[in-house]
Amino acid sequence: MSPGAITELVGHASSGRTSVFTACLRDVTARGALAAFVDTDHVFDPVGAGRAGVELSRVLWVRCGHRLDRALRAVDLLVRCPGFALVGLDTGDVTPRMTLAMAYRLKLAVRRTGTALVVVSGHRVVASGATLAFAARRSHVAWTGPRPAPNRLEAIETALEVMRARARVPELRPGAVHHVRLRA
Amino acid sequence: MSPFACAWVPFFAVAAFERSEPALVERPVIVVRGHGAATRVVEASAAAREHGIAPGMTEAEARARCPLLVARAWCDERVASARHALLEAALTVSPRIEDGGPGIVHLDTAGLGGLVGDTHAIVDRLLRQVRAVGLRACVGVAASRTAARLAAQAGTRVTIVPPGGERTFLAAVPLAALELSADLAATFARWGIRTLGELAALPRRSLGDRLGAAGLRAHDASLGVDREPFHVYVPEPYWEEAQGLEWEVTLLEPLLGVIERVLTRLCDRLGVVHVSVDGVDLELALASRETHHRTIALAYPTRDVRLIRTLIAVDLEGHPPPAAVVGVTVRARPAVARPTPADLWRPPAPAHRDLAVLLTRLTEMVGADNLGAPSVLDSHHPDAFTLRPFVAHAAVATPGAPDDRHPPPRMMLRRKQPSAAVEVEAADGRPRAVTSDGRWTRVLACAGPWRMSGEWWDTRAWARDEWDVLLSDTRLCRLAHDRLADHWQLIGVYD
Repeated sequence: MSPGAITELVGHASSGRTSVFTACLRDVTARGALAAFVDTDHVFDPVGAGRAGVELSRVLWVRCGHRLDRALRAVDLLVRCPGFALVGLDTGDVTPRMTLAMAYRLKLAVRRTGTALVVVSGHRVVASGATLAFAARRSHVAWTGPRPAPNRLEAIETALEVMRARARVPELRPGAVHHVRLRA
Repeated sequence: MSPFACAWVPFFAVAAFERSEPALVERPVIVVRGHGAATRVVEASAAAREHGIAPGMTEAEARARCPLLVARAWCDERVASARHALLEAALTVSPRIEDGGPGIVHLDTAGLGGLVGDTHAIVDRLLRQVRAVGLRACVGVAASRTAARLAAQAGTRVTIVPPGGERTFLAAVPLAALELSADLAATFARWGIRTLGELAALPRRSLGDRLGAAGLRAHDASLGVDREPFHVYVPEPYWEEAQGLEWEVTLLEPLLGVIERVLTRLCDRLGVVHVSVDGVDLELALASRETHHRTIALAYPTRDVRLIRTLIAVDLEGHPPPAAVVGVTVRARPAVARPTPADLWRPPAPAHRDLAVLLTRLTEMVGADNLGAPSVLDSHHPDAFTLRPFVAHAAVATPGAPDDRHPPPRMMLRRKQPSAAVEVEAADGRPRAVTSDGRWTRVLACAGPWRMSGEWWDTRAWARDEWDVLLSDTRLCRLAHDRLADHWQLIGVYD
């Protein structure tokens, strides 16, 4: 997550992208900053996010009624309002590609306000407007409990592969893979 | 000079109607309430009472006694207007007045000697001012409010009780002037008490032992003693500005220019008394002789003209007036603005003005039900959450020193809203295959059941078993088996 830039988190269902974004939300709200989450398909789980450490009173949740056009307009308004450290956009199950004009419009807006815009989607939608792009892929599912039939889901491991990075940081070179363990 | 005066308007409800319909003066008038045969007289004028008409009587009986009777249905607005008119008239005589109820106002006349004159001059001025607002009052002057009120109700136009003569004056007043409760009046009647002098002669302690607080209050009134503090009446400020237009406005931009000018005048007035507003009522008079009402709630108290104008513009874009506008009225709802200092240790939040505009635009876009800060309810139900209004400076604990420890992130669920019904093939009580679109998906691994229930004491009882399942299409899901309805749901997908 980079302030003043657009970051993309893409992946299939159960890849771990939503959990990684929630961890960003937790870190931002824990330091007292405000965040907004534009939720196209109403997928946000406030109970789980609260358990994960997100300070919910600092999160503005915008539910867009399965309308991606509304979600994009809401993001456009939010990134122009200085004071939100993080704005998240979950595009839902159906993810059409964003127009280049729209992508650059958002890019300029976040650069001016210093907001970090994180787009969570099934595949890349912002194209060259994004400064960072990660592809999430689940690598392992860990079960626990008495053998031979473990009866509890313990964690999943997600591999975050850097797809695009404008910054010249060794850890963020394209193709680099970072492993994240997400506990249940 | 006696310090208190009381202006009393007899038969106040009738007087309120006579004030708005001067033709009713001197005619027998009654004010009635109810419908049909249950219509009862609640107030009768002096001319009507001469025919034996009294409150509580049915309208039919009253008309039988006086065929020329004029009846009017009770109207709260007329009585309230007359009450305010009486108070405003009293305020022109003394700055310290007390609202004694419908038709009664007490005036503190201390210090008016140098401004108005002696007691007679004050009484003359009071009578003149009350008459100017269309009411006819009787005035009493005495050393206490109770004695002044009883003096005003004594039956003459003006009654001035000389200082120190209250006991003598009240001794001859009939007990009925106190308007006691029926039980108390019956008790005094049994005791043979007819006047306030006889009541005042009773031993106070014994009266309190027998009749309690009501008896003591009656005794105080018979002595002309005020136990209640003087509640000074302060008129409510009138925060409204309006402007009529000589031309019809059909476009939004010119209309907003007019609204801005009206708002500027209103906010200038608010600024003089250091008051902000937390809501604005906009009323647009239309060429079709209708009115277009809009209420704009502000996220925080302010008197920023540009902000309020922007919010009105956003609101009118979504709800434009149905016809051309010929008049603008803006009413403000005042609120006390409490400054909130910024927190040095917290990242800067959006400016109040920016946030208010943003929330208004988002509300217009997605609706108020879909916007806010999520809040978890005190329940074990997994869906127990609600949305509360988003506040930038929410009262939460100030973060301390930055925590360098990063606890491992947790798995999150992408919820299905609403939960999707699925069919599940189970073996030994454990899910083996799942289908939602007619296509079966094999369960590779599962964990559960996590048995949950709640609100069994209510009609919203719920009970379900939850399972974490890994499907052959790589999805890791949470399923729930509703034990009450015996069906399966897809709660969400771990992601």
